[in-house]
Amino acid sequence: MGCEKIEELLSPYLEDELTREQRQAVESHLRTCPHCAELLSLMREARVSLSSFPEVGVSEELTEKLYAIPQGRKKFRFVSEVLLRPSSQPIMAAATVLLVVASFYVFHPQRSAINRSIERQFHIGVSKVEKIYAEAESITQSLGEYKDNLLVSLKNLRLFRGNEDEQPKT
Amino acid sequence: MLVNTYSKKVFNLAYQFAGSYEEAEDLTQDIFFKLHKSIEKYDFEKNFSAWLLTLARNHLIDQYRKTKWEKKSRDDFNEHLLSADTRSGPEESVLIQECKKIVWAGFNLLSPEIRMAVILRDIQGKKYEEIAEIMDLPLGTIKSRVNRGRLQLAKILKEKREKENGL
Repeated sequence: MGCEKIEELLSPYLEDELTREQRQAVESHLRTCPHCAELLSLMREARVSLSSFPEVGVSEELTEKLYAIPQGRKKFRFVSEVLLRPSSQPIMAAATVLLVVASFYVFHPQRSAINRSIERQFHIGVSKVEKIYAEAESITQSLGEYKDNLLVSLKNLRLFRGNEDEQPKT
Repeated sequence: MLVNTYSKKVFNLAYQFAGSYEEAEDLTQDIFFKLHKSIEKYDFEKNFSAWLLTLARNHLIDQYRKTKWEKKSRDDFNEHLLSADTRSGPEESVLIQECKKIVWAGFNLLSPEIRMAVILRDIQGKKYEEIAEIMDLPLGTIKSRVNRGRLQLAKILKEKREKENGL
């Protein structure tokens, strides 16, 4: 048997898993091949050191984090259930539209032109509101005048006075 | 309950595999997160420990392939392992201590599949049948991987000593 074949048998040899014939073949090769004998000795040494490798303790911080995972998952599940509920779909759709509009605005190359146009529209809106307000004020004023005139006319009609022609009884 | 029983086991597997304490903490959290996520899929007739280690092994190897830890250096053996090494005591030979350090650093030169097989067999002392179950591979493949891993480590030891002796 060549070195390559023997190398394949070194672990089973160490763990006593070979047949008697295989074992004899390995041992006879090892007697004549210092390379394979050295490999076997180093493998044995590596195994011994691996088997006594220490176990490292888990830090308190990690333990706390591991305990917190189920709570985190519950919260995540609650949030995902709320978001994926059919009744939340119109809200999600509206939010998506808003996001699309906002991203269109933020990333548009002619953002300053959009800003100017928004500003112009805003001013037009403000002046319209001012106009409506002024009109409403003039209407309120004329209504006040009408009210005064009406009160004067009612007074003249003496609707709310007593009967002045009636003589007091003695 | 799960944390008390399995955190040390999972963390040590992650640390031995990744070689970095911080990385192992992150990986352990990921594995426990996956555990909570997929616990409903656990078949109660199966061995829970083996099922969890399969989950851990899949995550560790996947992450290895994504990030290629072999390019990063492992923690120095003295950093965390030496202080935790209470089993061996001061009477342990200098040769074995030195061998541990070389083997620890040498893990980075093993492929992830071979490294995992060696860790499970030689550090964690699992039977070949258990490893075959965890790694979902035939027994012969596992035995061959463990042998190749040991051979590689033996060659690394040889090379390192020859260098130190100026040969």
